[in-house]
Amino acid sequence: MTLVESDPVLAAETSPADGAPARRRPRLSLGRFTGVVIALLAVCVYLALTQPVFLTWGNITNIVASNSVILLLALGATFVIIGGGFDLSSASALSATGMVLGLALQAGVPAWVAIASPILAGLAIGLVQGVLISYVKISMIVVTLGFMSILASFALIVNKGATISVYGTPGFDPVYQFVNGTIGPVPVLMIFDAVVILAAAFVLRYTAFGRSLFAMGSNQEAARLNGINIATMVLFVFLIAGLAAGLAGMVSVGRLTGAAAVSDPTLLMTAIAAVLIGGTAFTGGEGGVLGTMIGVLFLGVIQNGMTLSEIPAFWQGTVNGAILILAVGIGVLRDRGIRLRRRAITTKVG
Amino acid sequence: MTDSTAPFIRLTGISKSFPGVRALDDVSLDINAGEVHSLTGENGSGKSTLAKIVNGTHQPDAGTVEIDGVPTVITKPAKALELGIVSISQELTLAPSLSVAENIFLGRMPRTRWGTVDWDRCLRDARAVLDDLRVHVNPRTAVRDLSLELQQEIEIARAISSNARLLILDEATSSLSEAATDRLLEIVAEQRDRGVGVLMISHRMPELYRSCSVASVLRDGRLMGTVPLPDTPEDALVRLMVGRDLDDYFGSRDVAPDAVALKVTDLHTLDGALLPTSFEVRRGEILGVAGLVGSGKAELGMALGGAIPSRGTIEVAGREVAITNPHQAVSSGVGYVPDDRKGQAILPNRSVAENFALAWRGTLSTLGVLRVRRESALVKDGMTRYGVVAAHENVRISTLSGGNQQKVVLGRTFARGCAVFVLSEPTRGIDVGSKSQVYALLQEQVGKGAAVVLISSELPEILGLADRVIVFHRGGVHAEFAAEGLDEETVAAVAVSGRPRPAAA
Repeated sequence: MTLVESDPVLAAETSPADGAPARRRPRLSLGRFTGVVIALLAVCVYLALTQPVFLTWGNITNIVASNSVILLLALGATFVIIGGGFDLSSASALSATGMVLGLALQAGVPAWVAIASPILAGLAIGLVQGVLISYVKISMIVVTLGFMSILASFALIVNKGATISVYGTPGFDPVYQFVNGTIGPVPVLMIFDAVVILAAAFVLRYTAFGRSLFAMGSNQEAARLNGINIATMVLFVFLIAGLAAGLAGMVSVGRLTGAAAVSDPTLLMTAIAAVLIGGTAFTGGEGGVLGTMIGVLFLGVIQNGMTLSEIPAFWQGTVNGAILILAVGIGVLRDRGIRLRRRAITTKVG
Repeated sequence: MTDSTAPFIRLTGISKSFPGVRALDDVSLDINAGEVHSLTGENGSGKSTLAKIVNGTHQPDAGTVEIDGVPTVITKPAKALELGIVSISQELTLAPSLSVAENIFLGRMPRTRWGTVDWDRCLRDARAVLDDLRVHVNPRTAVRDLSLELQQEIEIARAISSNARLLILDEATSSLSEAATDRLLEIVAEQRDRGVGVLMISHRMPELYRSCSVASVLRDGRLMGTVPLPDTPEDALVRLMVGRDLDDYFGSRDVAPDAVALKVTDLHTLDGALLPTSFEVRRGEILGVAGLVGSGKAELGMALGGAIPSRGTIEVAGREVAITNPHQAVSSGVGYVPDDRKGQAILPNRSVAENFALAWRGTLSTLGVLRVRRESALVKDGMTRYGVVAAHENVRISTLSGGNQQKVVLGRTFARGCAVFVLSEPTRGIDVGSKSQVYALLQEQVGKGAAVVLISSELPEILGLADRVIVFHRGGVHAEFAAEGLDEETVAAVAVSGRPRPAAA
């Protein structure tokens, strides 16, 4: 598998400068993921050798299942960040959409209505935020910061701060099956994750929308002057982020068999960290969902390894933060290295 | 002082590269005390880079700097100031909310013996400096309340008052009126007589011949020669600058202007930056638009490109069109190239191919899915056709030289096949070779019947390419000329004062 799926630029990164003859590299290239993938493999090898449980199918499916919520949020964030934006509200939106699902199940609605409810709620959240940013022209940081607070509060208000238990409600079974069921040995959720990743990669790489998104994130004014409607683009980006939060809300309820009024406070940070570890640039205009998947896996495997090695969970934040800075820092150094090398080439040629 | 054996500053073998461009290549230069030394060359030839190496903004990749015969490394702008090297550039470096006096003594306010600011002395000294320059402003006035020209004078006052040993004027006269330019050149002469060395960056011939005793000419980062002034004739100097005769430099076209392609009536912006403006451009014709920075010529381009809101009527090929956003400009057949390539035209961290493919945005997809193969073929064709040199179409555009980046931007605009092209500063910051290629592409488009509005701050380019020239001053058109037989001074006079020179009128 070649890993340079969503970003042809990264593949050609090591080509020589302007004017020099093309040197095509037919070999498999991991592009900018090289560092993270090698680190991920190293951690896996270490865990496989020291923790016999690590490589069991049960543990692997567990890693996937317990990181699906983060994956979904991170995929939404990938779109927002590639477009040059930032969304602080995603983790709160997950709590809120989860509560919507909880309320719907508690009210005894049919399963399909229940399943639709967090998705519609997520889209509605995205729509309102998108309209406020694009058409009312309030800054993105203000809107998403406001919604982070409002949605977290909403999740507390609706059930007075208590978790809504949905176990045994008539509509819950399909949700439960979706999140916890398997087809043969393969969890349904794992298939779902793969489908979502592929769909997102396709949208980024092969659609006019994806192309415009990269253009907008790379240089918003240039995108605008070439006829891209920035307001519409931002609206769609937030619809995608809202959809991702709604799906994450549903998965979360399915896993906990209840809608939690308070979500894990590190969720937002972890999701964004995964995006950045996966090589998506914070400044916008470059990156991709395959990198995000690697980032989520990396953080997930580390967490799993720490649990298996019985390292206290308090260390999780320290480790995640250090990995984030290391991964992005290595990327920066690598870019600088390329620039220096390129300058050397320019000097020789010029 | 002028007899000391070592020059004030001696540059030896200075080279400097930026990503994708070799800005300076083995340049050696002496500037003597009490001498006005002109540094000249086309835009993008490396003049400003050299000035920025001398004033500590940039560090050379290779080469040495000697001051008074002592090897010196000018590590940062503060070090240059300590050495008595002071720059005046066209970009103002004033603090707008502070007073005139505070700006003059920025970073070196006079102190009392208690260490507090000595306001009395500050105001007194400021007034003395201003009187010396014959500039009549109250030193307590906030700088932002002054006109642009007065602000430039404050900048000059600051430089003069710092007892400079080397004064660098980086296109300092480009936004000054004739009278103010005159005064500045007088000051330059006074400073020279006091033993100050002056490095004057300019491509205005009359100024060079009036003030300078020696001229160094740069082309594409290389020193083409250092010649005495005013003994070197002007055409010899120009040939050093562009490296060939002007006729094949700008190219030619064989086309007679045809039907009206663009008719603009009372186009204006609500903020007053562009006053009601009317003109026509025919198929196969280039209309040159000249004017100073801030004269409204850039806003004309933005309004036609839909980049800023405007009022008035625009007709393309006889049909009235509404252009309220860039999308409408594109679909009305107006191809706009903005002046700020880095800020407004390229997608810096995307590939050459993706940058080029913006040409077919929205037309090369089926139900939102891109036709990747077709697009890739069109991109390769376009790159060949418009002479884009890149290692591969998937390298980042930011790794290309400015000239190649600009060919991508122009190529993708030309590839849209618009009836009208509005090009704002199409050759800003690119090397001489690329300029000539851009001119050839432009001539080709016009030869095929395109109408071009060429907005440029480079008068030679306008005079070399346009059929007719309109000149902006303070937001409106103040003169229209046929380009045949027109000279730079005539256009410059209108641009600066709004009136033709009496002799030319």
